[in-house]
Amino acid sequence: MLKIDNKADIFHYRTLLFVLFVSICTLLSRYFFLQIIEHERYFSKSQVNSVKAQATYAPRGLILDRNGEVLVENYPTYILTVTPYQLDSKEEQFSIISDITNIPLENINQRYEKFYQGRFLPTVIAKNLTFSEISQIEERRLELSGFQYKRFDERFYRDALDDAHILGYLREIDRESLSSLDKSKFYRAGELVGWQGLEKQYENELRYSKGIEYIEVDTYGREISRINDNSVPAFPGNDLFITIDARLQEYSKSLLNDQKGVILVSNVDTGEILSMVSNPSYSMDIYRGETNENEWKNLLNDASKPIINRTISGLYPPGSSFKLITAFNLIENGLLDPEDNLMCDGSYTPPGSSRTFKCWKEDGHGLVDLNKAIAQSCNVYFYETVQLTNLKDWTETAKIFGFNEETEIDLPNELIGQIPDKEFFIKTYGRWGWSERGMLLNLTLGQGDILVTPLQTLRYINHIASKGKKTAKLKLNLNKEVDFYHDVELSNQTWDRVFNGLFDVVNSDGGSGWRARQNSDIKLFGKTSTAENPHGDPHAWFNGFFELNNQKFSIVVLVENGGGGGAIASPIAGKIVSFIAKNSVEIVSKVVQ
Amino acid sequence: MFNNYLNGSNEYLGRLYLIVSSLLSFGLVTLYSISNDPLSLNSTFSRQIIFIIFSFFVFLVIQRMNVKTIHDNSTLIYLGSFFLCFIPFFLPPVENTFRWIDLGFFYIQPGEYLKCATIIVIAKYLSNHQLEVKESYIIIIPLAIAILSAFLVLNQPDLGTAVIIFAPVLPMLLWAGVNTFTIFLLIAPLLTVLAASNFMIFNIWAVIMFIIFMIFQGSLLKRIVLYFANIFTGLLFPFFWNDFLNGYQRQRFLDFLNPDLDPMGSSYHIIQSITAIGSGGLFGKGWGQGSQTQLKFLPVQESDFILSVIAEEFGFFGISIIMILFFMLIKTLLDLAFKATDYFSSLVIIGLTSIMFSHIFVNSAMTIGLMPVKGLPTPFVSAGGSFMLLCFIILSLVSSLSKN
Repeated sequence: MLKIDNKADIFHYRTLLFVLFVSICTLLSRYFFLQIIEHERYFSKSQVNSVKAQATYAPRGLILDRNGEVLVENYPTYILTVTPYQLDSKEEQFSIISDITNIPLENINQRYEKFYQGRFLPTVIAKNLTFSEISQIEERRLELSGFQYKRFDERFYRDALDDAHILGYLREIDRESLSSLDKSKFYRAGELVGWQGLEKQYENELRYSKGIEYIEVDTYGREISRINDNSVPAFPGNDLFITIDARLQEYSKSLLNDQKGVILVSNVDTGEILSMVSNPSYSMDIYRGETNENEWKNLLNDASKPIINRTISGLYPPGSSFKLITAFNLIENGLLDPEDNLMCDGSYTPPGSSRTFKCWKEDGHGLVDLNKAIAQSCNVYFYETVQLTNLKDWTETAKIFGFNEETEIDLPNELIGQIPDKEFFIKTYGRWGWSERGMLLNLTLGQGDILVTPLQTLRYINHIASKGKKTAKLKLNLNKEVDFYHDVELSNQTWDRVFNGLFDVVNSDGGSGWRARQNSDIKLFGKTSTAENPHGDPHAWFNGFFELNNQKFSIVVLVENGGGGGAIASPIAGKIVSFIAKNSVEIVSKVVQ
Repeated sequence: MFNNYLNGSNEYLGRLYLIVSSLLSFGLVTLYSISNDPLSLNSTFSRQIIFIIFSFFVFLVIQRMNVKTIHDNSTLIYLGSFFLCFIPFFLPPVENTFRWIDLGFFYIQPGEYLKCATIIVIAKYLSNHQLEVKESYIIIIPLAIAILSAFLVLNQPDLGTAVIIFAPVLPMLLWAGVNTFTIFLLIAPLLTVLAASNFMIFNIWAVIMFIIFMIFQGSLLKRIVLYFANIFTGLLFPFFWNDFLNGYQRQRFLDFLNPDLDPMGSSYHIIQSITAIGSGGLFGKGWGQGSQTQLKFLPVQESDFILSVIAEEFGFFGISIIMILFFMLIKTLLDLAFKATDYFSSLVIIGLTSIMFSHIFVNSAMTIGLMPVKGLPTPFVSAGGSFMLLCFIILSLVSSLSKN
């Protein structure tokens, strides 16, 4: 039918038949070898049943403070896992477990659902087993095929630094969160992962590397022997030394009493943060064992917002410390002679306006030069002088000090605050709803739409303290290499003028921060702020720096709705400086590695 | 209708159907033993019956096709299958691959049908009466077609199907009468690559190859060039290995070379399979009594490792029956190819036979640890809709090609 006849050759047919014959014989002889000759061996092996791989764990790294004091360590607990495919009858066996552990059956089922990750992978269904529970499980081993208990390290937070904001916490991985985690780290549901704070930031360093061991088990999941050939040992995570001085942290916190607020202390030269208090905090105890939902809800709904780390996620108006932005801007651009005196009679009325802006001192400061204006925080001086610059230049100056950007601190969830510019005002108030002059009057006092985080303020102070050159990036990891922010290029003369003012804030008669003055020969520079805000009393700020043993330190105190910066924040700052001077051996000297 | 063939109109086809029916029955008996609730509609067993019935209807349709229709439309068939393989790339991936098209009630794997289409188009080329089969250049086009098809499925990615696409090329060339030296040239690079893993073996192979090249006739220059081309293939292979293959493809191959390396990975499967087979003994543990199987230590037992189940439950005796059935299946197919009235049919049957055979061989060899773990099922025995359909399509093609 088709044109070409079959030209198949008998030789080719025989060749292929030969190949077929040899192949089938090869296969059959191998089957023969396995099933007849080696039968005994495999038969007994099939009674033993299976080699099982099992993950092994090592402790997570510790977290220690700069003096080597342990802040976070591990304590061993026992957990119960179940391997789904080995279950005989899920309902029956789960109810046995429920009887033994006194965990309601529905909770067990809930956990099983939440952490299930496949038929062949163990699912954690109960934690914190007691010794008697373990022995009961062991007694009923035959009814409980598929169940296994094993050691599991939980975090233990020492009292030395009971601060969830810095340390963060671990969370159990469930099926939902599993997909978002780094695949190469072999996370499994039921394991712990750093979820906040340093535990999250340094997860890769702190986390152990998993090992693997092979065990032979029988039909009931009982271990028969261990195969050591290919096992990979687990390695503990690296310890993390942090820059915090636990005692200074504790002391700073005690100064805030029950007031909401922030205290930050840093070493300007290295960027190390020595104290980072965000009050109120909450106890790490809620991460021990299982916290019920109500406790969580209370914490989340607490009006004083203990869950927020105010140092990096709290946004506040900076208040008078931003007067320095105006000063930097004007002196550097030659728009202001610092020696010139202006008259403060307690209020200022912009030209062509009927509205009057008051100085905080109602009867006025009299004749004021730059030095006195900074030292006594005279509003009228800055109302008048800020008119010499413009909005664009002014916001540029604020931004070179790192506002409106991250400080790159090694903690998650940092906010960048807000430095309003022309576009912002147009968007917020419409094209004609605001005037540049009017806004500058607000901005120069650090009020209005400006919002900063306390940590940004710390960076600002560090830029000033180091005169803009080689300002170290703020950090919490002691062993992280020192890195620098971009320099703030201002002339020496500008820095000197502002320094004089800052010195007088604390050390001159009538300086607004005189309550922070030191009895020792430490020269403390600073600036108080009293930041008006819509939530009640003004926020009290003190931002300052000083030199000790040839190293510079900076300090930021913020008392939320505390009142006047001079009256409330300055004394706290003063006490902290004294404390540092007294304990300089631990804080200033180099540290244990 | 079976009777027609049994009564002499085509005794080989009758024998073929008998063998296939035996294999199908054997497979169903085994699947019944490993299904949890065999009579429920969702069990592997019931689904397999549904697949067989469905495939049988497809068989009835295709086997009515005329050889001439297949021959004249071979290019169209090839292009159709080729573009069908592109569809999965536009669908959401199934198990991270682009091999499958979800039809709702079951998945089809267009790569399977590309195997058949590739054979048909190669057969058409080789059966051309103007072809000078003695010239070695004629291997170029069949190879190019196979490479094109293999390259496409390799991207799905499906290494197994890609390898199977090459399997029929050699037997078909041999069948078409291409000279032995040319066929040696085709196998040589493969052996060179295998030899490249060990320096000593590579040297020995280089000498053997040199002798063979000296014996065969041809121009000296051509032989020298081909010889060094082979040597360089061997030397370059390690780079290909490292940069071109996926991690899991490399892993499967390496596991094969050393099964004790990773007891929980794919060689875990091999260890479990060998234990199941070896523990079966001469007559097996009995139907439904295989402990490896029933306790689910043996993975993918209903498809990839169905032979291990048979070996455990029915012993060497059962496996021998299966192997004899396989031998007869392939021999009958070879007979049909030899007796076919036209050259095109003969070549297509040889190609299809090679696919059947490579599935049987690779799958069996895998269960006993002679080859890497590869997701290739056994014809007519393993559970699975797409592959069952392919087997019946092959059967129907053979049937229609042999009837004239």
